[in-house]
Amino acid sequence: MEGKNLITKNLTRNKRTIEEINNKIERSDIQVLPVSEFKKIVESKGLEVAFNEIDIVTTGTFGAMCSSGALINVGHSDPPIKIQNAWINDVPITHPGAAVDLFIGATLSSETKGFEYGGGHVIEDLVKGKNVNFRATSYGTDCYPRTEIETTLTKDDLNQFILLNFRNGYQKYSCAVNGRDEIIYTYMGKLLPKYRNASYSGAGEISPLNNDPSYEVIGLGTKIFLGGGQGYVLGEGTQHSPSTGYGTLMVKGNAKNMSPEFIRGASFTGYGPSIYIGLGIPVPLLNIEIAKKAAVRDEEIFTEVIDYGVPRLGRPVLRQVSYRELKSGKLMLNGREIKVSSMSSLQKAELICHELASWIKKGNFTLTLPIERLSNQGQPKPMRQIKGAAAFVDSILHEAVTCQENETIEIVAKRLITKNVNHIIVTDSDQKITGIVTSWDITKAIANGVRTLKEIIVRRVYTASPNEPLEVVAKRLAQHNISALPVIDETQKVLGIITSEDIAKLVGGNLNG
Amino acid sequence: MVRMMLRFDNEKVHEPVTSQVILEEKIPINIMSAYVNQQGGEILIDVESENAERLAKAFRKKGVTVDVPKLIEKDDLKCTNCGACVSLCPMNALIFNADKSVELNEAVCNGITCGLCVDACPVRAIRLLG
Ligand code: SF4
Ligand code: SF4
Repeated sequence: MEGKNLITKNLTRNKRTIEEINNKIERSDIQVLPVSEFKKIVESKGLEVAFNEIDIVTTGTFGAMCSSGALINVGHSDPPIKIQNAWINDVPITHPGAAVDLFIGATLSSETKGFEYGGGHVIEDLVKGKNVNFRATSYGTDCYPRTEIETTLTKDDLNQFILLNFRNGYQKYSCAVNGRDEIIYTYMGKLLPKYRNASYSGAGEISPLNNDPSYEVIGLGTKIFLGGGQGYVLGEGTQHSPSTGYGTLMVKGNAKNMSPEFIRGASFTGYGPSIYIGLGIPVPLLNIEIAKKAAVRDEEIFTEVIDYGVPRLGRPVLRQVSYRELKSGKLMLNGREIKVSSMSSLQKAELICHELASWIKKGNFTLTLPIERLSNQGQPKPMRQIKGAAAFVDSILHEAVTCQENETIEIVAKRLITKNVNHIIVTDSDQKITGIVTSWDITKAIANGVRTLKEIIVRRVYTASPNEPLEVVAKRLAQHNISALPVIDETQKVLGIITSEDIAKLVGGNLNG
Repeated sequence: MVRMMLRFDNEKVHEPVTSQVILEEKIPINIMSAYVNQQGGEILIDVESENAERLAKAFRKKGVTVDVPKLIEKDDLKCTNCGACVSLCPMNALIFNADKSVELNEAVCNGITCGLCVDACPVRAIRLLG
């Protein structure tokens, strides 16, 4: 790291130092622009001119950042309590330290309102200055005798109210689509079946880390715009993945000075609560290399289109896509044009760039350089799983008994008996699924004098694919109140069948969550 | 059900437009209230959601003004302009403006028959009416 720093310094002579920049801020003759406007100048007048004219560019992003929260200190009661469990507005607040230090995790849900209200909303309400209901319990000790407390609090009653986010400011994020034949609700939003829409996140060319991809000016100690107030970068965020271009930041800031315009609680249907956070970072154009990197355009920033319909860690990558294409609102996928829109607000990201630029112009915000740089190599490891590999459909699927539509009910009934099964899958001559019939359907048909199989085939069949985790499949069985799922490949060809009995045998009936 | 207001001017009011449309389109309607005289008239109707669009077109073709009272509402103060709703809308009722803010064009929204965007909004800024 040290050596690398020296090399950069030798190669590119700094035109401006951070001290000169801060002096100019104090004299109010600083040239600062939102980075999008800087890019336009580079395009029209060239990099050299733009770099000579402009001292600082401001970058920004406003998106759902789940790994966020707030550290609060609620003060000591009389008699004192060593808090063991605590809630604000019925949202459980985790307890990271001594007696009255608590952490409001953005994604925890209310015990009474569920996904509709969570830690993110608590933080927003506190930022807004609202009164919140606080209660806590404990076991009582000689030094902390109290076992229960309930009160109301505002941010003014808190000793500290610090936004402390483990992972913010993702350099870029993947674009999500859904290949399944049902709607899925994800942290990337609501995804329509059969790739009918796409959702992406991140502000692309105006997002902080994309404008400083080798982390020269953004690192531990960089002063930033956070939630409408001031904050600092604490270092790399969790899951920081510079080798793949997915860098992240850990940040903190005094939430008492933040604004609800840039801190918003959110609920993702089917996923849970989260929080939207506005993050803005100034990039001082110390030398032309830094300026060149800040001139990057959306067409040069690529991410992956990923099928979130596959509920595995390694989801299939369908294609590469630039932020230019994503921002156009249309995405080509499998030869079809589909609508794509963002989950993070580009309008607010731009607003943050402007807001930060105006703070700097007014002399309210000086710049700092990092005292330690973010690592620019490496990527996170997956979890070490020691309790055997997780179970997937292909590990327990077995051969399916099939029939064709033109067979008679008697023959099919006999096959059910000889094979000793309850489900028979109807296929066409290519072994592609066209329906399903159960022994119950057959019994009913015979009792009612129905003669042809066609009349009793169930056409709307729920299916599974071989690489799905058993948890997901168990949920589907329970949700539709059925006892078996044909397992098919992408071409609808029947590979086998999986029954709730098989799953129950494997996991002792613990999977109906 | 979709509620519609049909407005007839002083010419149209003399023609049996309403019954013609019903007979031609074979769409049953439920008249909620009506006020008609020589100068013109207004009829408020309810119609099955899946027929609403076809019926409105048929009336418009015959020179009747059709107003669909608001079906949906977006609270612009709550909305963060994130865009999570935009790609879901089959009618292009939700669009990005040039300044990247998200606009809802109520007139082309399918309302309760669609509703795809409603539970996708992370800040619950969209509400179906009626
Ligand atoms: S309800 Fe449907 S048509 Fe109306 S705005 Fe929402 S997605 Fe579009
Ligand atoms: S999803 Fe909600 S917050 Fe986002 S743009 Fe649509 S209405 Fe606004």
